[in-house]
Amino acid sequence: MQEFITVSELNNYIGGLLEGDLFLSNFWLKGELSGFKLYQQSGHMYFNLKDTDSLISCVMFKSRARGLAFKPEDGMEVLLRGTVSVFARQGKYQVYAEEMLPFGAGGLYLQLEKTKAKLQALGYFDPEHKQPLPRMVNRLGIVTSQDGAALRDILKVVRQRHALIDVVLVHSSVQGLEAPQELARGIELLNQQDSVDLIIVGRGGGSLEDLMAFNSEEVVRAIYQSHIPIISAVGHEVDYTLADLAADIRAATPTHAAQIAVPDVEGILNALAIYQQRMQRAIEKKLGYNSERLDRIMMRKIWSQPGIMIESRQKQVEVLEKGLRLAMSSGMQVRGQRLALAVTALDKLSPLKVLSRGYAIASKDGTVIHSSEQVEPGDQIDVTLYEGRLKVRVESKEGNPWKA
Amino acid sequence: MEGMSFEEALRQLEDILAMLESGELELEQSLRLFQSGMELSVYCQQMLKQAEGRIQQLTQKPDGEILLLEIDVKESE
Repeated sequence: MQEFITVSELNNYIGGLLEGDLFLSNFWLKGELSGFKLYQQSGHMYFNLKDTDSLISCVMFKSRARGLAFKPEDGMEVLLRGTVSVFARQGKYQVYAEEMLPFGAGGLYLQLEKTKAKLQALGYFDPEHKQPLPRMVNRLGIVTSQDGAALRDILKVVRQRHALIDVVLVHSSVQGLEAPQELARGIELLNQQDSVDLIIVGRGGGSLEDLMAFNSEEVVRAIYQSHIPIISAVGHEVDYTLADLAADIRAATPTHAAQIAVPDVEGILNALAIYQQRMQRAIEKKLGYNSERLDRIMMRKIWSQPGIMIESRQKQVEVLEKGLRLAMSSGMQVRGQRLALAVTALDKLSPLKVLSRGYAIASKDGTVIHSSEQVEPGDQIDVTLYEGRLKVRVESKEGNPWKA
Repeated sequence: MEGMSFEEALRQLEDILAMLESGELELEQSLRLFQSGMELSVYCQQMLKQAEGRIQQLTQKPDGEILLLEIDVKESE
């Protein structure tokens, strides 16, 4: 009987050879991606790398794939670092990828520019689409990592300002393969719930690779589609991320974003107090003007005997009118005009005119009442109307409604 | 006024203030606007005091259920 070994033994032997090889334990490989598959359940990525003549299958485990700064797609030229080993179950040797980058000088930048041009054409960065930020934020939404510095920086500002606002956090990874989807989902979730007034989306600073999630189409689209205003807050060294371009306001850092977002409650309360004062001044001026007009009439004490005063005024008016007619008819234009002015002036002063508009004069024992403090419930007071007078009993009284 | 947003209330308040300060209104109208303006400013003040300073986390479970839970985030140095 021949000596033999089992299939497993052979695969193990070959595996041992490959694993013992120094070169195969760490090398960089360039090739074009094909047959790329991400298994949702395991999170592992399976794909081939090929050139014009040859192909090799590769696997990148979830733990490694998580650190990817870009989204692999078939046809993409990539550079990966890995080892070769045998997958004994299928008798197949393959590359186990440790890290992977888009190939070419500034591969990431190229990819970024491509995405930017595409999204720009879709109108995602249009200034006309930007929403104004609310001046008052009661509930602030934050989409970032629950363990990141960004969240702590934002909450620090909230505490510093002693702002009583509610913060709603949606946790998301902020780098790696899953980050774009999670960030976008966070923004969508806050929009669905519709309970926050403003959203901050961001993370602390990092390299271009770290920030690539904020350059992803998913995140930019979610920002564009959000009906809640969004501040982007990606602390970074590079000029911008695409998320910054799509956001309604871009903040340089999460701290800066919080300073924009968190209302200065003290300041708004002050502004409201000033508005109240200004309204009071305006209304007092209005009332003052009208009551002055009234006072001028009051001084003549017509309220005590309005009938007589009115009659005498009416007589005066009649006399003047007669004179006016006479003056006009006798061609004395100048005198006529002066008379006409006098008649108008008198007419304006006439208490009848004021009373006819619905004003009334309240008096007690011959004294005009200016304030509720001059009377007590039960007092009898006189009210002079345009037509007639009333004897009225005070039921109750209140202070000045304008002085809250 | 119930349900009016803070923004909307503040905007109306500012409109009313401008109209009052123009001095061009009838007295009756001025008084009516003054009344509304005062109510709006009180409403705005109340809204400022509505939030309670909570920190919550919004999550969606795989089955679609949405949870809103209070969380505690430690102060940073």
